[in-house]
Amino acid sequence: MICRTSPEIGGMGHSIKRKEDLRFIQGKGNYVDDVQLPDMVYGHMVRSPYAHARLKSVNTEKARQLPGVLAVITGEDLAKANLAWMPTLFFDKQMVLATGKVLFQSQEVAFVVAEDQYVAADAAELVEVEYEELPVLVDPHKALDADAPILREDREQKSNHIFHWEVGDRAATDKVFEDAEVKAKVHAVFQRCHPAPLETCGCVADHNSATGRLTIYLTSQAPHAHRTLFAIVGGIPENNIRVISPDIGGGFGNKVPIYPGYVCAVVASLTLGRPVKWIESRSENLQSTGFARDYHMTAELAATQDGKIQAMRVKTLADHGAFNAAAQPTKFPAGLFSICTGAYDYPTAFCEVDGVYTNKAPGGIAYRCSFRVTEAAYLIERAVDVLAQELKTDPVELRRKNFIPPEKFPYKSPLGWSYDSGDYDAAMKVALDTIGYDALRKEQQEKRSRGELMGIGISSFVEVVGAGPAHTFDIAGIKMFDSCEIRVHPTGKAMCRMGTKSQGQGHETTYAQIVAQELGIPAADVTVEEGDTDTAPYGLGTYASRSTPVSGAATAMAARKIREKAKKIAAHLLECSEEDLDWEPGKFFVKGAPSKAKTIQDIAFAAYTNMPEGMEAGLEAVDYYDPPNLTFPFGTYICVVDIDKGTGEIKVRRFVAVDDCGNIINPMIVEGQIHGGLTEGLAIAFMQQIDYDENGNVQGGSFMDYLLPTAVETPHWETGKTCTPSPHHPFGAKGVGESPNVGSPAAFVNAVVDALSHLGVKHIDMPIAPWKVWNILKEKGMVA
Amino acid sequence: MAMQIEKSFQVKEPIEQVWSLLSDPRRVATCVPGAKITEQVDEKTYKGTISVKVGPSATDYKGELEIVRLDAENHEIEILGKGQDVRGRGSASMKMTGKLRSLEDGGTEVTNVSEVNVVGILAQMGSRVISEVSNIMFRQFIKNFQAQLQQPADADAAEAKPINAASLAWAAAKGAFHHES
Repeated sequence: MICRTSPEIGGMGHSIKRKEDLRFIQGKGNYVDDVQLPDMVYGHMVRSPYAHARLKSVNTEKARQLPGVLAVITGEDLAKANLAWMPTLFFDKQMVLATGKVLFQSQEVAFVVAEDQYVAADAAELVEVEYEELPVLVDPHKALDADAPILREDREQKSNHIFHWEVGDRAATDKVFEDAEVKAKVHAVFQRCHPAPLETCGCVADHNSATGRLTIYLTSQAPHAHRTLFAIVGGIPENNIRVISPDIGGGFGNKVPIYPGYVCAVVASLTLGRPVKWIESRSENLQSTGFARDYHMTAELAATQDGKIQAMRVKTLADHGAFNAAAQPTKFPAGLFSICTGAYDYPTAFCEVDGVYTNKAPGGIAYRCSFRVTEAAYLIERAVDVLAQELKTDPVELRRKNFIPPEKFPYKSPLGWSYDSGDYDAAMKVALDTIGYDALRKEQQEKRSRGELMGIGISSFVEVVGAGPAHTFDIAGIKMFDSCEIRVHPTGKAMCRMGTKSQGQGHETTYAQIVAQELGIPAADVTVEEGDTDTAPYGLGTYASRSTPVSGAATAMAARKIREKAKKIAAHLLECSEEDLDWEPGKFFVKGAPSKAKTIQDIAFAAYTNMPEGMEAGLEAVDYYDPPNLTFPFGTYICVVDIDKGTGEIKVRRFVAVDDCGNIINPMIVEGQIHGGLTEGLAIAFMQQIDYDENGNVQGGSFMDYLLPTAVETPHWETGKTCTPSPHHPFGAKGVGESPNVGSPAAFVNAVVDALSHLGVKHIDMPIAPWKVWNILKEKGMVA
Repeated sequence: MAMQIEKSFQVKEPIEQVWSLLSDPRRVATCVPGAKITEQVDEKTYKGTISVKVGPSATDYKGELEIVRLDAENHEIEILGKGQDVRGRGSASMKMTGKLRSLEDGGTEVTNVSEVNVVGILAQMGSRVISEVSNIMFRQFIKNFQAQLQQPADADAAEAKPINAASLAWAAAKGAFHHES
């Protein structure tokens, strides 16, 4: 149990208001586009209109002549400096500016720099590019056909195949399927979607030729890793690079990769000796930066007649676009997709994934998800519902029959994970009680008899988050530990610097609460700073729900180191031995004599003014935390939909989300995260897709076509919780930011399919727009 | 983005008079909003330009027009056109089949089937915008075509003005909401 601190201290479990919101709600945030430097100039990207074309010539003459234009950089220019290509985060390379040919619509072709952004945009229009169109590959299923155009001429392997990855026991799985009493199969496409953060990507690159230092203000979820990559790729000494991630307006994985615009801005600043700002437009963000998903999956479940799942078999085709720019740990080409066996207890599984190139934007980033966990959770939760249909059993009953029981934890999954802790049925029970499941099923029966359409969808997901451990997880070779440095000032206030970077998650509040919990220094007295590589300790950044599991743990460990030293100082001040002291958040006191006490503030002052002989001055600690395992948050979501037969429109009537993320730091922030993630899940399930036509033209490249839910579309979210602490985390937390995005798509889709299941519908691919439902109703003779 | 657009309209002139206009790309081009024939390469091939503006997006296609089939007996013409935007914003190609039929009242029915394929920035706007733009261009074409029919065949061909960008975008938006055809 976590001891409850006073509201004044505001440790774990207190819903204290977010410190950062004071500046955000006053419009006083400082985002990259707010950065203004003397002599700053502006970059604008020239992009390809073709998905696949030979680049015959790039004529920059007219653009250069426009007054105010300072430089026009082309791929050929970069090639001279060996910078036309850059490595991606996953054993591939990507063109910075195109040479030879272009491979996706909106690919970067030239970079114009001018005195202001309007001149830069006008000059970009004057860059004349001659293309020769080539056959376009859009459908990943055709990527490996003999007559498919080979996209990547730069690669030795003359094929569009990127990787094959498999895990599990193929032979044993096939055997179970041969003998199975019941089999269920679903082919589900998790469509290409995009995180579309409120703030698009951008940077200000500022090279100071006098000091030789390069400062990059960057929309980065991982500033330290980006500094190292700039040093390695650009050949600039790492001590001469400072990456600053100021306030970031949402990341969701979109701000993990390094983009060509950043590199061009840096090259331009090095060339011109002036700060260069480059900020993407919304369409550029949607069309060229890291997309998510695009997994074409087939799942099969084998079960006994009485509903016991025996095995799972998964085959997936992954569309990675023109370059494999997936941002994931290097040993995991399909991320942590092998969590796809879910919350269920069966010994046998096999999963294989093949990645292919197509003429689409590169990516495969972990959109609010710990590397392909969303795809995995969606797949198993869809498959279980299809199995329930095969067995003609209730999907809740089927799940409860197969849940991994609490006593089996730590649980070794058939595909190799060691689940830390879980009580899946407990979360299910809370969800069922909250929504009133039995009554809803009765109502559904009545409505069906009247010809009305109503559906109930369940998703009991398991996540795997918080990478490391370092022995298995690295990004581009850098181990996935994370860090915290705490300095307690003489007056008892503290400063906390982190290797992570908040993009809106509320780190300035939650890390302060961890320090408050561990040291008793009020959260209000703890300043948290992130994002400046000159001051923060090295870390891998914020994505994959890793901040609380890894940096949060580092914060607790650093605080405990400080507490150890504080104890020595307290013993010195109280003239007793350390063994005689007891601790409660905020003070050490002599056992049995609570009035003989020294507060953490007294101790901090003494650390600089009256330390014991032989002790170093100061009260500081740094911790680089390498988690022993990942954490496995889970939950059960239940969604109720009503469908309008006339229009196919789906209304989410109720949505109950019961999450278990272990011990909670700030319940209000957790709830906010859940609301946000559910809203994103709603958008993915019903509204969003980055689609391409047969020529590779983007059909979801602006907010006209790529829809964001507003308050009008968003239903009322009901949240609940259970608490199963992580046994290996210093304060039992698991991470929560991504759960709602991971768990909710299946709940939405299951609800819609459930509404139509009596008509024989087993699956509908997302996004489930009204026209899709209406077509099904028409096909099934439900509407004229 | 590929689309097939089929349109027909009627004029009061007799079929041979209409055919003499339809089978002369130089004169037909003057009816297409924003189009211009700049050079005749050979008997069947012409070079030309066409400007299309939709809202903020201006595309100037420069390319070739080839008469693939000219069947005077059946009054059918098949034209293949393809062009690239001069600023490299994309390309478009079109296969157009024009066919004439005599009407009982002595007039002529013109049927036009176009297969249009657009690649690039314009194609991102999606078929709902592109097909509205085609509708507007076609309405303008019919007006110009009818006016051309009044002209003697050797009259100086005045070039049709490209449609005003703002009004085209507005008309397309209206069309999208009101489903005008």
